[in-house]
Amino acid sequence: MNFQNMIAALQRYWAERGCVIMQPYHTELGAGTSNPATFIRVLDPSLKEWRAAYVEPVIRPTDGRYGENPFRFQHYFQYQVILKPAPEDVIDQYFGSLEALGIDLRKHDLRLVEDDWEQPTLGAWGLGWEVWSDGMEITQFTYFQQLGGIDLEVIPAEMTYGLERLALFLQGKESVFDLEWAPGVTWGDVYRENERQWSRYNYEEARVDVLERRFDEHEAEAGELLDKGLPLPAYDQVLKSSHAFNLLDARGAVSVTERAAYIGRVRKLARRFAQLYVGADGDAPD
Amino acid sequence: MATLLIEIGCEELPAGACREALAQLPGVAERALGVAPSRILITPRRLAVLVDDAPAKTADHWLKGPPVNMAEKAAAGFAKRHGVAVESLQERDGFLGVEVPGKPLAEVLPEQVDALVNGLAFSKTMRWDDSGLRSPRPLRWTLAMVDAETIVGDTTFGHRFTSGPVKVPDASAYLETLRAAGVEPDQDARRAQIVQSLDELGGWGDPNGVLEEVIFLVEHPLVIDGRFDERYLQLPRRVIETTIQHHIRAFPLGENRFAFVANGGDPDTVRGGLENVVGGRLEDASFTFERDVEVGLDGLAERLGAITFFAGAGSYADKTGRLPKLVEALGGGEAALEAARLAKADQASELVREFPALEGHVGAEYARLAGYPEAVSAAIDEHYLPDAADAPLPQTEAGRVLSAADKIDTLNVSFGLGHKPTGSRDPYGLRRAAIGLCRLAAEGNLVIPREQLEPEVREFVEERFEGLVDLPVEYVRAARRSEVRDLGSVARLARALAGLPDERFAPIHTAYTRSERLAEKEEGAAAELDPALLAEPAELEVAQAMERLDPQLEGSLEAGDFDAAVESAAEIGPALDRFFEEVLVMAEDKAVRANRLRLLLNVRDTLGKLGELSQIPR
Repeated sequence: MNFQNMIAALQRYWAERGCVIMQPYHTELGAGTSNPATFIRVLDPSLKEWRAAYVEPVIRPTDGRYGENPFRFQHYFQYQVILKPAPEDVIDQYFGSLEALGIDLRKHDLRLVEDDWEQPTLGAWGLGWEVWSDGMEITQFTYFQQLGGIDLEVIPAEMTYGLERLALFLQGKESVFDLEWAPGVTWGDVYRENERQWSRYNYEEARVDVLERRFDEHEAEAGELLDKGLPLPAYDQVLKSSHAFNLLDARGAVSVTERAAYIGRVRKLARRFAQLYVGADGDAPD
Repeated sequence: MATLLIEIGCEELPAGACREALAQLPGVAERALGVAPSRILITPRRLAVLVDDAPAKTADHWLKGPPVNMAEKAAAGFAKRHGVAVESLQERDGFLGVEVPGKPLAEVLPEQVDALVNGLAFSKTMRWDDSGLRSPRPLRWTLAMVDAETIVGDTTFGHRFTSGPVKVPDASAYLETLRAAGVEPDQDARRAQIVQSLDELGGWGDPNGVLEEVIFLVEHPLVIDGRFDERYLQLPRRVIETTIQHHIRAFPLGENRFAFVANGGDPDTVRGGLENVVGGRLEDASFTFERDVEVGLDGLAERLGAITFFAGAGSYADKTGRLPKLVEALGGGEAALEAARLAKADQASELVREFPALEGHVGAEYARLAGYPEAVSAAIDEHYLPDAADAPLPQTEAGRVLSAADKIDTLNVSFGLGHKPTGSRDPYGLRRAAIGLCRLAAEGNLVIPREQLEPEVREFVEERFEGLVDLPVEYVRAARRSEVRDLGSVARLARALAGLPDERFAPIHTAYTRSERLAEKEEGAAAELDPALLAEPAELEVAQAMERLDPQLEGSLEAGDFDAAVESAAEIGPALDRFFEEVLVMAEDKAVRANRLRLLLNVRDTLGKLGELSQIPR
């Protein structure tokens, strides 16, 4: 099964189970969790039910390897499913999606192996597993407990499929570049040159002074928008400041002490956003 | 008597939670059920308790009411509260009461199941719905049976993929029912199966200790062996082991083979997937490895200036620059000096960024590839040892020297910046470093001059001996106040002091303590001892003994012969005893008194070379 058919099969499977099929977000994200379709919907205490699924391209500048390493990329794809509240048969539903991809669950060794999740910049954590398929980690499965430092009233289940890993498994290939994306077209055809150029940008060419300024600007604007009671536009500024930090990190411009300070600044914004969004009183705790 | 089964079904529990449950369930079950469980069976998907001979009903019990002499006033109320007729109240030991019959097990079981679930305490728990329950992972079913009767729930569940809901015909048939449904519920049986299969494959190792975790990762252990491409054998051995053990909890079988414990599946299919995964991971590591090797260890060392050691303490290049002086002070030779120059180079490698636990080892492998002498490579390899309380010490002399130099530098610099461990917080691992130094000195016989430790660091390090040396802490405290020059001698001196029989120790302890007390009157003491003023035989004897003892002690301490030192001090014990019996220190004559005080101060100073003996309680 090629890459695009795999995505199509997942879309159909989760749409049939009542998911809203969303689209990728319009700014750089380090993980599909940051997409408002997950982060904000899960946080929203007035929204008792929400089911969504979508592809998310994730941008992680420090994972780039100039298109030379067949397993590491600064840009790759997740398939994100969020079910709020977590249904009782959520695990069966998940394994059903693998069957929909043609995986024979009795032939393979499929396993849920403890892997708790934490995202300090978002003040978020949850408990869950990585899903192994014959030792290959193909999905991260998390029951969120806290987002933006706030205990969730309704516990959702998040499933994040690593699409490249899943495709390696389905296609039995040894390099992501060799994965078939569509008939006659490989993953490498589509993205290898992208990896070369972006790795060079991330590691060598991105302007440190510009990024530092951008971080400050996004942070300031997020703060102003929060003050004006506009959490949704403010949230985008939080995401953009987070991306500016990731680029600074790739450029090697962040020392160990500065790193903690940057992360603290993003976390503070994320918490303020969360507090404002859920209508909680008082200042965001640190 | 009945057989009782309680099974709590879960989504896949972490291995750590399974072990917590295993430790707690015997006690928790006994408290909840009032009878000790016969078996505890735990898999990632179930916590089960079996009781072979459960009483069919709970015990009868006596409900005590008002005293007989209050019957008129209180008996009716008591009877009414408990729903019995007043006439049925009985008298026992002067009190009215009623014998309440036990309830059938089936009736109380649901409550007992709740008590059992609530009785478990896990270190990390979650919520998953609005039930208010907390558990390490969602609880999905409960099955409680008394013999063939199902009291709570309906079915158990077999293997997640090869089975489904399964009726248990009788509580006593629980094990065979699950085994027929693809689940081995007994953790010990799973361990035995895994070990037996690994033994059949032969040559297996478990360097990172994953077996105890693997037992709780499967319900149906199936050991599958696999291979990877031999070209990955160029990677450092521990990189391969870590990849295999950490990423897929598999066991190295030597060469390019490994064994994986699956939870089922078709062996050939699973093997194909595993070999792909391991190949991919090793390819990834090889890619990183080859890039590092291209730069070379010396090239990596040149990049250390850009890597912060920790905030305020400069870079790893600065640290590397400080090491040679320490190595020399520790008597290190050429190999240790060369190793010091290269010890931290792997901090600049990509492989250590991927495998942080392999720092040192990676640098050593790169040193070997660069053709450095084995003594240099081995020292780099070992210089983080000992990295745990029971970890081995470096095997080579250069390794011990480099390890100590690195730790002394880390401690001196951290304390200088005010990073002292507080309570349980020790983010820089300073306690571990200090214990490492103590063990290098005491067990590794490395001469670590105490003067190389900043005063505060020295206190902190030597305090570790109190927990390390198997003696009452006071001996260590006494020895710490001695002037022995090296760290290991503190421990050895403490042992020598503790080894002296009490009757021999008593006189010098008394002399030291009394002299120390008199030292408070020091202004009364003469500046120098005047032999001409010594009149009493006992004081003459002490003065002469001191003249002999002082150089003798110095010599023994210098030679590191602490038993001889303590022994020679003990020899003057009888003279000191006599002195205190026969000589009046606070003599009328001012000059004589001052001279005797001086003599005692000399006694204190000389004996004090063995430490602050008054610390030792007698």
